[in-house]
Amino acid sequence: MRFMMLMIPKGYEIAEPGTMPDAKAVAAMMKYNESLQQAGVLLALDGLHPPSMGARVSFPGGKPKVTDGPFSEAKEVVGGYWMIQVKSKEEAIEWAKRCPGSETEVIEVRQVQEMSDFPPDVAEAAAGFADLQAQSGQSKGS
Amino acid sequence: MRVMVLVKADENSEAGALPDEKTLTEMGKFNEELVRAGVMLAGEGIQASSKGARVRFGKGTKPTVFDGPFTEAKELIAGFWLWQVKSMEEAIEWLKRAPFQDTEVEIRPVFESTDFAPSDPTGELMAAEERLRAQSEQLNKAARR
Repeated sequence: MRFMMLMIPKGYEIAEPGTMPDAKAVAAMMKYNESLQQAGVLLALDGLHPPSMGARVSFPGGKPKVTDGPFSEAKEVVGGYWMIQVKSKEEAIEWAKRCPGSETEVIEVRQVQEMSDFPPDVAEAAAGFADLQAQSGQSKGS
Repeated sequence: MRVMVLVKADENSEAGALPDEKTLTEMGKFNEELVRAGVMLAGEGIQASSKGARVRFGKGTKPTVFDGPFTEAKELIAGFWLWQVKSMEEAIEWLKRAPFQDTEVEIRPVFESTDFAPSDPTGELMAAEERLRAQSEQLNKAARR
């Protein structure tokens, strides 16, 4: 089963555009990333620029409305994620606990929906999605 | 550039309700457009927070685990896409065409290893990350088979 570990760093909701993580913290995190890799559990990982460089689109009555970041009402925001392949939620939590997190950071562990989680009629309606994912190939950007 | 598009949870997704057929069909069409345009890199739905956990880190203490649901959180995630686009503007244009009703969706640019160039003069960090990604992609492909 796949789990997403969402890193939620307190204060990132008000970080300035162009804010970069501290080099020492990155080095510690890189070691942790390598341990995930060596255990064969790491599927994907990314860091996100602060919300001040992002945007939100809301759909009041189905019509899109764009709001530029930062988002003053947000109390906590995602700073990055890992996608891992493990045998249980407990194993996912054990991995999250090993992260070199600071006291301002929380990791949220969430299970990813698999096609097998859906009842037959929903699985049928969503059948094309697995093919789409295969086509998109999880290719990386530049 | 790559962007992550974060779709928020609502009462229905938090209750574990699955999208109806009409929503799935509309979203399927939108996903197909994204793939055909070469924009779609990944997309997943996330189960309700009641099936998840949070790990909080202390200073010099062991991490503390809290089981879901996270009722105090105002903004939980129910799914995401990773898109390959030329600009934030292009990402916003794509998102405006998504078949959503009365919800708010967030777009965030993703850090690329080249963003770290100023604090990585030797390129060592970038090389390590490239290796990590190449290996993860292989595992990813195997996991999907």
